[in-house]
Amino acid sequence: MSFSLAGIFAVLSHAIQPFVALILIILAVLIAVQLVARLRSYRTKAHHCKPAMIVALLAGLSAVWWLPMLTHSQLGFVTSIVDWLALIAAALGVALLVWLVLHPLSYLVRGPR
Amino acid sequence: MSRLQLPPPSPGRRQLLKLGLGAGAASLLPLSSVFANTISTRARIVILGSGAAGLSMANRLSRRLSGATITVVEPSDLHNYQPGWTLVASGVWEAERTLKPNAQFLPTGVDWVKGQAAGINADLRRITLADSSTLEYDVLVVATGLQLNYQLIDGMSPKLVGRNGIGCVYASLDAAGRTRKAIDTWLAQGGGQGIFTSPQTAIKCAGAPIKMTFTTLSRIKAESTRERFDLDYFTGGGGMFSQPWINDFLKQRFDQENITRHHLQHLTAIDAGAKKAEFTSPNGDTEVRDYDFIHVVPPMSAPDFVKDSDLIAQEGAFKGEWLDTDIHTLQHNRYPEVFGIGDVIGAPINKTAASVKAQAPVVEANIVAYLQEKPLNARHNGYTSCPLITDIGKAMLVEFGYDNNMEFLPSFSFIDPKEESWSAWVLKDYLLQPAYYAMLEGRV
Ligand SMILES: Cc1cc2nc3c(=O)[nH]c(=O)nc-3n(C[C@H](O)[C@H](O)[C@H](O)COP(=O)(O)OP(=O)(O)OC[C@H]3O[C@@H](n4cnc5c(N)ncnc54)[C@H](O)[C@@H]3O)c2cc1C
Repeated sequence: MSFSLAGIFAVLSHAIQPFVALILIILAVLIAVQLVARLRSYRTKAHHCKPAMIVALLAGLSAVWWLPMLTHSQLGFVTSIVDWLALIAAALGVALLVWLVLHPLSYLVRGPR
Repeated sequence: MSRLQLPPPSPGRRQLLKLGLGAGAASLLPLSSVFANTISTRARIVILGSGAAGLSMANRLSRRLSGATITVVEPSDLHNYQPGWTLVASGVWEAERTLKPNAQFLPTGVDWVKGQAAGINADLRRITLADSSTLEYDVLVVATGLQLNYQLIDGMSPKLVGRNGIGCVYASLDAAGRTRKAIDTWLAQGGGQGIFTSPQTAIKCAGAPIKMTFTTLSRIKAESTRERFDLDYFTGGGGMFSQPWINDFLKQRFDQENITRHHLQHLTAIDAGAKKAEFTSPNGDTEVRDYDFIHVVPPMSAPDFVKDSDLIAQEGAFKGEWLDTDIHTLQHNRYPEVFGIGDVIGAPINKTAASVKAQAPVVEANIVAYLQEKPLNARHNGYTSCPLITDIGKAMLVEFGYDNNMEFLPSFSFIDPKEESWSAWVLKDYLLQPAYYAMLEGRV
């Protein structure tokens, strides 16, 4: 059984439906923080904030534990290579997202460093 | 009794249909090439049932045929995502997650007769509805699903589900919820005898009785009270599963988990008050067992009104029980204007929504070919799939077909059908339902 590209989009369009509100909230927060910070001269490479990096890393690491639970499963059932690749990719996504919010936020709260 | 030997009901109709076919007709050879082209026809197409198969066909045919009169006969307003019922009965999903209105998936331009088909006169190409009205067709798609034959188990009724330690995930969404409560009650007792059954007939989602056994075991283990529960599995079949590798795997796993297997013994009677179940072997020997919880899976067949019609198989393995279709073209073996899809057809395996996904483009292509009086070249390979839940949180994505001794047919080369994984569970929990809805819309 193979899926066409249109078929994959059709499936994804149904798959994201229950999460649309959540995705929109996350995107709104991300865009708002980034936008406000950039309007106040925030530049990703110019600003340094270790705590934001540490919290993002912790969020990513903890995701390895709570992401399987969120799917009614447990870390012990993450066994195959595909399982681990998927989980690591998702955890990296969580870490990146947290960093993309916290880094400009720290600039807004604590000023340029 | 061949349809071909009989005079057509309305002479000239067939010719009229043929003349109505437009020039946009597609070459039917490669299946993938037929989707884009529409053909014009004045054919009256009747689809019986708007479950997984009926809705998929309504969407595909309405897109493919212009000028056709497409009528869907379906009594229910609501569409059930039945593959979600095992998750409801296992306490993983809430019931509402499996329900949507039928109207959401019925394409515009298709007539919906909200009623029940009560009879099929295949010689006259006529459907009689429960209210005695009739519908005539040029092409009939039988997509009624199957019937649960509780009456073949003495003392059993779907009304008993949820009471006296009786569960049945198949009966309905409501019964899946009541099964969950019956399991909760049994687990709260802190121990006792659990019996899981599978009948001697073909059933839809042959993995569901096994999944219910594993998810219940998973819940028992989570309470750390395994030693206080006895689990037995009675099956009317000689094996556990039709795919040979999975069959061996399951036997081994059941033995490892201390679930006692009883083969060739099917449930024939139940005494709900006394909590006793009677099992019968092919030689007629019976055994009566006490239970605290029993998961009943009734024998299944095509619905009675299909069984009473000329369309039922008249010889072979499916005689008197299932629709008589060619298992590859899905055309009726004796009435060429009739096609079957989904649970109702006589096929060695294939009573899954996943099979419908593979069958729908074949039926679509072959109906178009039939209308064009061309050979029916599209073939179904018996593809079926079972996301076999082995624990709450992990599963195996088992995909196979009836050709080549039930050979594995994996959709994703990176998911091993022989491996239990979290990814297969996530697919079952989050992605198969969206794939199902896209299938209903005829988009996959
Ligand atoms: C507990 C359970 C778990 C399952 N798990 C899976 C799984 O994991 N994966 C999978 O692929 N499949 C699974 N299935 C199987 C899957 O749901 C069915 O194979 C699929 O729904 C078959 O589609 P169908 O259209 O043939 O029948 P159905 O979807 O049952 O639809 C039949 C329709 O016909 C209508 N109908 C019946 N009689 C008449 C009549 N006389 N007149 C008019 N209309 C009528 C009914 O109202 C219904 O809407 C599961 C099923 C159950 C019950």
